Formats: sequence, C-alpha cells, structure tokens
Amino acid sequence: MSSDYEFSDEEGDDVFDDDDMGMQDSDGDGDDGMDMDDFKVAPKTTRKAYELEYDSLTQASIEKLMEKDVEHIRGIFGVDASTAGLLLRHMSWNKERLIEKYMDNANKMLVAAGAAVPEPEPTRPSRRPTRKAKSPPKSETFVCSICFDDAPDLTPLALDCTHAACTGCWSAYITSKIRDEAEHACRCMAEGCALVAPDAFVRAAVDDETYVRFQELLVRHFVACTPHLKFCPYPACTNTVSCPAAASKTSLTTVVPIVSCGARGMSSASAPAASMTQSQELVRQASGKEHKFCFGCIIDSDHRPVVCGVALLWLKKCRDDSETANWIKSNTKECGKCMSTIEKNGGCNHMTCKKCKHEFCWVCMGPWSEHGTAWYSCNRYDEKGGVDARDSQSKSRASLERYLHYYNRWANHEQSAKLALDLFAKTEKKMEEMQITSALTWIEVQFMKKAVEEVDKCRMTLKWTYAMAYYLAKGNQKDLFEDNQRDLERAVEDLSELLESPIEPENIPTLRQKVTDKTVYVQKRNTIVLEDTADGFLEGRWTWNVTVDGFDGPEEA
Amino acid sequence: MNARLRRVNKEIAEKTRFLTSSHRDCKNDKTSNIRIDLIDSSPFHLKGSFPGPEDTPYQGGHFEVDIVIPESYPFQPVKMKFITKVYHPNVSSASGAICLDILKDAWSPVLTLKSTLISLQSLLCSPEPNDPQDAEVAKHYTTSKHSFEETAIYWTKTYAMPPGAQGSEAKGKSTAIKSDTRDEVAIAGLEKAHVDQFEALGFPRTKVIDVLRRLNYRGANVAQITEDRVVEELLK
Repeated sequence: MSSDYEFSDEEGDDVFDDDDMGMQDSDGDGDDGMDMDDFKVAPKTTRKAYELEYDSLTQASIEKLMEKDVEHIRGIFGVDASTAGLLLRHMSWNKERLIEKYMDNANKMLVAAGAAVPEPEPTRPSRRPTRKAKSPPKSETFVCSICFDDAPDLTPLALDCTHAACTGCWSAYITSKIRDEAEHACRCMAEGCALVAPDAFVRAAVDDETYVRFQELLVRHFVACTPHLKFCPYPACTNTVSCPAAASKTSLTTVVPIVSCGARGMSSASAPAASMTQSQELVRQASGKEHKFCFGCIIDSDHRPVVCGVALLWLKKCRDDSETANWIKSNTKECGKCMSTIEKNGGCNHMTCKKCKHEFCWVCMGPWSEHGTAWYSCNRYDEKGGVDARDSQSKSRASLERYLHYYNRWANHEQSAKLALDLFAKTEKKMEEMQITSALTWIEVQFMKKAVEEVDKCRMTLKWTYAMAYYLAKGNQKDLFEDNQRDLERAVEDLSELLESPIEPENIPTLRQKVTDKTVYVQKRNTIVLEDTADGFLEGRWTWNVTVDGFDGPEEA
Repeated sequence: MNARLRRVNKEIAEKTRFLTSSHRDCKNDKTSNIRIDLIDSSPFHLKGSFPGPEDTPYQGGHFEVDIVIPESYPFQPVKMKFITKVYHPNVSSASGAICLDILKDAWSPVLTLKSTLISLQSLLCSPEPNDPQDAEVAKHYTTSKHSFEETAIYWTKTYAMPPGAQGSEAKGKSTAIKSDTRDEVAIAGLEKAHVDQFEALGFPRTKVIDVLRRLNYRGANVAQITEDRVVEELLK
C-alpha cells in the first residue's frame, strides 16, 4: 500500500468528496515516489473553506504601521513627529476624525492631547490648595516640590509647562505610571496640568526595561484601537494578527476566525538556540504548542467548527449548569405532583413533599396510598401510579440527560486533549526507542509525532462539534453533521489506540504503515467536518434550537 | 533616604510647625484646623483628623481618618478611610471607605496629606449622591435631603463628638446622648412611628429597622411602598 491513501467513500457521502468541494490541496499527491514524503512538508498555499486569510505581525511591523500614520499626520499638520504621535494617541488613531477636529480648532486639539500648554487665562480659577510648583530653575536653591529634596546637585526638570521636579522624581513617577498603571500617557505631575510627557522625555527618564514596556504599551494601544488587529493572548507573546475578514461583528456568523500568530511555545525562545542540536530544537518546538486563538471572541483556542456565538453560549451553559446538573441528577428526584426537586436527606422512603404535601414512595415514586402497610420495602414496581409518576419524571429529566450526553462527550475530549501533553512525551520516548531498535532514522520516525499532533487537533474539533450538535435544530442537516462527527470520532479513536500499542521491533514497518495511513485518513475526516460546517455557515444551512446573536430565531418546534 | 520617607517626614514636620502657628492665629485660618498624628512608630501609618465643616450636618464633629502611605507614594495616592463613622453618600457607613477622585485616578504627586485632608473636609460640604460609595445613604439623600441631614447630625453627635463636649456643642438640639443608649431608629434615619407600626405586627425591632432602611422607607417613598411589600421583605 502506497503512502498516498486514496480517500474512499465507503462510509462517507459523495457530497463530501474532495473534488466536489473544489478543493485543490496537495494531500493526495504521493506521486513523488518518495517514501519519505508521508506528509507534505511544504506549507499549504491554497486556503480551505474553513480557513481565513490573516497575517501575523511582529511588534516591529506594528511600530512601522504606527510610524506611517504619524508620518502622514505630520505631513498634513506640519507638526513634529512626537506631537503627531500624541494627537493620534489622543484620538485613538482615528486619522479622519483627528484631521476633521484639528482643522476645526488646532489649538484646542493640541491642548486636549496634552501636546501644548493652554493659553494663560486672564483670571485663573483658584484650584485646590496645593503647594505652588513654581520654583524657577534659575533660583539658586532648587527644592523639588515632590520629594522636598534641596541637595545642591539637584537638576530641575520640567515639561513646557515649567512645573519643575527633580530628575529622580520624574523617573520614579513615569516608571510607576508605566509599570504599575500600564499607562502610556504620563501627564505632568502638577495637579490639573494636562501636558503629556513626549516620548523623548520618557526615554530620558526611565531605564531601558521600562522604556521597552512603554513601547509595548503604545503598540497595545494602537492594536486595541484598530478593529482588524488583535494581540496574541498567549503570555509574553508580543505578536499581533491582522485579520480584516473578521473585523466586523456581522462576519462572525459566517466564519470562525481561528488564527495563529506564528509563534510557538512559551516565549523562552530567547534561550541560546545555537547550543541546541537540531533534534532538541525540534522537540522543544513540538512541546510548545502553536499560538492558536480566535480572532472574533475571547476563546484562546481553536473552537472550529462552531461559530463564536454558539461556542460562548455553550461555555456559559457549562459554567452555569454542569456541576449543578450532575449533582441534581444523582441526588434528587422530582415530586410526582408539583414537580418540585426533592433531595432525600435521610429517613424512610415515605416522602411528603414540603410544598404540595403529596405523599409518595421514594423508591417507586408512586403515591404512598397504594403502598398499604409495606413500609420499608417497596415491591410494587409495576403499580400503575408508580409507572405514571416515573414517566413524568423521566420526561423532566430528559432535557437534563440530553445536556449531560453532550457535556460528557465534550468534557471527555477536553480531558483527552489535556492528556495530549503526556502523549507527546510518551511518543517522544517511543520515537527514540524506534531509532535504537530499528534502522529508521530520526526523520523517518516523525510519523508518530505527526500522528499525535493530528489526534490532538481532531479532538479539539470533536470537542466543539458536541457544543454545536447540542444547539443544532433537529433535522436532516443535523443528521448529516452527526454522521460526519461519528466518522471522525471513530477514526480518531482507532488512531489513538494504534499510538498506545506496544512497539515490537519486528512489526515497526507495519505499525508505521498503519499509523501513516490512519493519520492521513483522520486528517481527511477532520477536513471534511470543518469544511462542511464552514460551507454550511456561508450558505446559512444551520439552524439552532435557541436564539443565537446574529442568526434567525429558532425554528418552530 | 528614599523619596517616600523624606517626603512624609517633611510633611509631618511641616504639619507640626503649621499647627503651632495655627494655634497662634487660629481665627485667621479656620479651614485648616487639621492634625496629622503618628499611630505607631512607623511614619507610613498615620491618623489625620479635622473638624466637621461649619453650616453642614457635620459641624461640631471631630473626624478621624486612617492614612496608609503606600510604597510608591507620592507617585501613587495615599490610602485613606474614615475611622469615625460618617453618614455621607460618598463614605461607606459600614467601613469608612471614601469615594473621592483624587484618592484614585485624579491623584497628582503634588498633592500632600494636608491638601488631601482638606479635600476630604470639603467633600463633607458637598456630597456627590450621583457617584455614591454607600447606595443606601445616597438614596436617603436624594429622597429627602431634610431627613438625611437629621440623620447625619445624629451620627455626628453620636460618633464624632467626645462624650463631654456633646452638651455644649449640641445644646438646644437634643439632650446629651450616652453612647450606650443610642437610638437605632435615628441612626438608621427612620421615623419612630414607622418602626413601631411594624414592630407591633410581631417582628423583631432590629429586623424592622434593617428592612425599612434597605427599602428606603422615608419621606415621599413611604407612599410608594405598600405595607404588604414591607411585610413580604420582613418574612424573607
């Protein structure tokens, strides 16, 4: 069997055949005749229906964008770069509004942005009694108005407003603003003075580390003000993703904007890479996962195939309901008459509902009156009253059961995904073993790692398909969706099992063949699920059983 | 010596100098009758105090404020809260926490302990019920300013006056109040008749006071809250 596993339609629908989807990926081209080419190495150039166009930008390239805007404003207004920067920051980088307002009243704009001192008013309203910060730099004994230091070597420092303080105080003030408050606009220390310290002033006042943070804050501010940019939410990552396709709220009903900033792992990447061997480096990369996140909502992971609105709805439901629901299910029953939820906290089986005073048997749920004198043991399972009571009981439990059905599967995949890290470690060990026990080279045993990665990815997809299925309205579409889901799940479980199987030197070639084939198959099934769902969103094929933001209301049940 | 310690020492020293001078010509500078004292040996935990401003319900009272100087003072604001219980929309009636812009984002390093305490004093003159710290007090204030002021005066008398001074300061308003016979109804700013009315239905007095205060059963509001609603709350 060659490595180019032809995806057959034995159990799939013809509709989902690759060719019908107009997909031109290179999955099937094992024609190179190279045994090594089990998995394509080159990144895919064609985009799939469930993928969006996006760009990953480093902090430096964002700074370039900012510079471009500053330069633009500088050219129009004829001000210096620092002033243009302050103006843009003040107007949240909205160039059009800035130009409009600046043309209206340039001076007012400059004062509001903290770039110029307001014209002295003829009668100054008396402020709160503060110590006058007026200590003209020329005076012989300068006393800092902040720390009251009067050392002779003290250098007074002030912005254009001449509110002087010593360099030490300025440095401590700006550092505290940047470090503690994460504030990029450091206003003058004098009360009521709105002048903002220009970048050069900040640069001179703080140490390198704080200035780096300052620049980061500026970039963050710029990114936050630009709808088509989003900061990578992974800790210590400074990359930004640009995704114009998902910039508007309305687009989120048709696409799931999962993006990746391009970085991997935690940002300890600055560790000496040169001292690492190639394999160590690759292993390190593998253990650090790709920074994948959703551009449209706050979920920091891949929630395809389901759209943001439904994903958030599901997460909220899980947070609110799961534990409570589990507890209720295992510890309570409903009163057969008034449907109050009852917890039996001791005593005999003769229950009296606190609310409606209905007397019933805890075991069979039938009315107590039918029990006669059979006090402590209920053997009247088939009594009509009991059956009826249990019927209505089961009805009220059905919705809970339904939810738990989906929730348990969801949680299961989530759990498995968490265990994926262990699997990675185990796989690594196996890979090493294989290199020793067989003549395979390092590159040839990569199929294991690839398979583990694929399983992890598919579990993620599977997890979210359960959230989707819970909210999908009943019908043919849902049946098709669940068929796809089932096929994927079955394939993933098969592959998982293969990965866990023990390795014997003599069966390594067969195992390799099996794993490789299965991986390609799983990959295809995953693509099918994702692609079909994504197309469904574009075509508006999916209907929900609840109201979801941006979609039509649920269909008449 | 770091900036924080130098600054606090200077402020305390200046305060002392200021005090002696203000004792001398107390008449000329009434607004600044402000004291700052050490609580223990640390210069970073202080107690400020000032008299209640005149022509307000707080007149005649002596208000104490707990002051904690944070590590990054003077670049971050001082932490202040009332030790003396104050009935004021911007001061928590339970904890003494203060809602004032200069203690938060409007802080500026040129502000001093003294100027901040003066701001607190002026806060007592001009409550901001639209930005309340204590919602129940603020509701009381907006419903009936008169009734609010009566309660605030009562609180001032009960909590902010030394037992001996009450007779002279508050003469003509009411008889001296001993601390052990505080009138819970007046403290809650309620009418005695209302409390008696519901107490007569068999509810404990403290609970009645609690519920009526929560419902803001005062002034024009009384007409809008039915008796059933009160009883319903009482039964909860």
